[in-house]
Amino acid sequence: MKTTEIKDVCIIGTGAAGGVWADACTRAGLEVVALERGPQLGPAEFMQHDELTNIYRNDGFAPDWRDTVRDAAGEEARLGRSTLLAQCVGGGTAHWGAASWRFREDDFELLSRGGPIEGANLADWPIAYDDLAPYYDRAEARLGLAGLAGANPVEPPRTAPYPNPPHPPRLATVALERGAKALGYHPFPLPVAINSRAYGGRAACMNGGQCSNFGCPIHAKASTLAIHVPAALATGRLDLRPNARVTELVVGADGRVREARYIDASGAERAVRARTFVVAAGGIGSPHLLLASRSARHPNGLGNGSGLVGRNLMFHIFSYAAFELPGPSMGALGPNGMLAVDDLHPSDPKRGFARGAVIFEAAEPGPLWAAFKANDYLGGSAGAWGKPLKDYLRRFPYFGGLISIGEDLPQLTNRIDLDPTHRDADGIPLPRITYRSHPNDLALAAYFETRMLEIADAAGAVKSWSFDFKSTKGGTGHLMGTCRMGSDPERSVVDADCRSHEVPNLYVPDASCFPSSGGYNPTLTIFANADRAATRFLARMKQGTEIGLAPSIIPPPSPRTPLHASKRTFDETPLGHQTLEPRR
Amino acid sequence: MSDARTSLSRREFMVGTTALWISATLPRPRTAEAAAAGTTPQTLDATEWKTVEAMTSRILPTDDAPGAVEAGCVNFIDKALGAEDEAALPAYRAAVAELNRHCQQRFERPFADLSPERQDSVLRDLELGRVEGWQANDAAPAAFFQTVRMHTILGFLLDPRYGGNRDYAGWKTIGWPGPVHALGGSQPDQMLGTRRLVPIWERAKPTGHHDHD
Repeated sequence: MKTTEIKDVCIIGTGAAGGVWADACTRAGLEVVALERGPQLGPAEFMQHDELTNIYRNDGFAPDWRDTVRDAAGEEARLGRSTLLAQCVGGGTAHWGAASWRFREDDFELLSRGGPIEGANLADWPIAYDDLAPYYDRAEARLGLAGLAGANPVEPPRTAPYPNPPHPPRLATVALERGAKALGYHPFPLPVAINSRAYGGRAACMNGGQCSNFGCPIHAKASTLAIHVPAALATGRLDLRPNARVTELVVGADGRVREARYIDASGAERAVRARTFVVAAGGIGSPHLLLASRSARHPNGLGNGSGLVGRNLMFHIFSYAAFELPGPSMGALGPNGMLAVDDLHPSDPKRGFARGAVIFEAAEPGPLWAAFKANDYLGGSAGAWGKPLKDYLRRFPYFGGLISIGEDLPQLTNRIDLDPTHRDADGIPLPRITYRSHPNDLALAAYFETRMLEIADAAGAVKSWSFDFKSTKGGTGHLMGTCRMGSDPERSVVDADCRSHEVPNLYVPDASCFPSSGGYNPTLTIFANADRAATRFLARMKQGTEIGLAPSIIPPPSPRTPLHASKRTFDETPLGHQTLEPRR
Repeated sequence: MSDARTSLSRREFMVGTTALWISATLPRPRTAEAAAAGTTPQTLDATEWKTVEAMTSRILPTDDAPGAVEAGCVNFIDKALGAEDEAALPAYRAAVAELNRHCQQRFERPFADLSPERQDSVLRDLELGRVEGWQANDAAPAAFFQTVRMHTILGFLLDPRYGGNRDYAGWKTIGWPGPVHALGGSQPDQMLGTRRLVPIWERAKPTGHHDHD
């Protein structure tokens, strides 16, 4: 590898945000290197995945992942594997459930519309829905969304139809639609980024039933693995490096990030230089990397003058209603879910909590998943064995589920930082999750749990029962908020273009930049917002106003410096009395 | 929803305050490799095999449909304990020996030779941790029970390649046709139940992706 080579753009992470940037930048003629922590997986591997690898544990997608978790500062964090994330080319889009939503107008204006809430750190986004709308259009077209425009009574304004029709229903969908209508709701087809017909050079869904937590063996499910990364590679301008675990971003004398250091598959330390760096490692990985990139100029982590890197961590709060129909549900067939109810999403102070959630049908993807619910069905933690367990399992064909994606409020105390005790195999401190649900979140989750049980009962369920997820921390792939976007450098980490307030050639366009969590699955918004940020970056570059790329300020290649044996002590940044670049 | 599933599986690791012994390592490819070598015991000795099999027979009993014994759950456990779950083997060994010592003392015969009713009674005591004089200090009764319970469920419901679910006994019993994508997917009429999806055990061999039944 030539460390003296300088790429135009170095992207860390190949999920929704990184994939979009790789696609956009290579299409614009830039030379891009993408560093992906995980391996390149594909249909052959996905066919070997099963409930054991992907549901019992997340071994299929993040075998080496470790983190630590605690409720609050002052407590000792427990070592574990608390988050569901995918470390492979495609990132979380390789194993997402593909439910795809536009955030609504009010999601961008939490503070100004609803006012402050005690204990929460609410903020408006520095952009509005209208800023994102054209990028939502573009993301929906690129991903091949299946849905029915206008069918969600509370959806934000849209001009374009979905590119593909809704997926066909399963028996559970039909029952739930009947139940939801009987209660006065307006159920509609769940918009999913799964092909309902051949589209974009990818096959139509074969209704295999295992979407969420699984890779799609035919790429009917949209992903950067199937769409954006191949497009970028086809330009000949993407240098894709899987199994490249970035450990540190190094800042040069000019205050800009100069190189990314990483450990390759063989364990060797390597480095890559670029003019612009895009950190798209997710709501945990991105702040973790910035916090681990300390230097004299950035003693609290790269771009962390505000102290907010890692803070305002949001996961979404989930409620889940399981049910048993009197007849078959066909819950194992078809995409993730086919039906959604969003009537209850808008904030209503009369309910005793702010904000809301979307509700949708969940697949019943396999028997192990059903077995995990036995204790709840049988009403306790003991006695779920013998004839009761066997009789329960035999009801598997009648099972179905509803899930709600509850908005959780940002709190300064909910955060990612570097664990002071536990390190990974490479000697890097593990990310430590400190998280406690806001009382508003818990009230919201309880409300939606009850509403979903009502829908299941109205659908004719002979039994419905709930799981308590409210005490769960981090058991989610929805990782948001930890590098908040805003116009005030004192109160945010990146600006409205997802660019660091402090480091002019550093971007964080993944869900880390979300100031709020929306109560919708976040991925379509990540796609749209990353596209918006990349488009604006490329426009500035074309105009010659992108500071990271202006030829006059590109740092000359330095003589190659051998990497120190210990990557933790490396610091070659000369210190001086340099001021930060003026903000524009 | 994927999030929910992960949380669930994690919660399953903790039953009450009981941590399973297999929470750190779990059966993965090495178990499948061990299972491919055959169904003779590789890890458990004859007494251990017999005892664990008797436990599985009460956790998922045989009735008009196959149970854990017919599905070969003990074979799965034997292979897992020699592979990814090897860390749990010493505790398994100690607990089985202690269980038999306990049964011998109380009922003058080992666990496997007790009547089903008495076995259930002993298992209930294990589950609730109310076993007097249990001497295997590193293998608490409740954790032992929950570990065997989870192992039995896995052996019943996982793909046969891991050594359990013999002849698809588990999937036949609960009505799961097999991994649908490996069956070539399903069609809208099958999703509405108007046409049957032919399960994996009725097929000569698994079909490819594009071969819709």
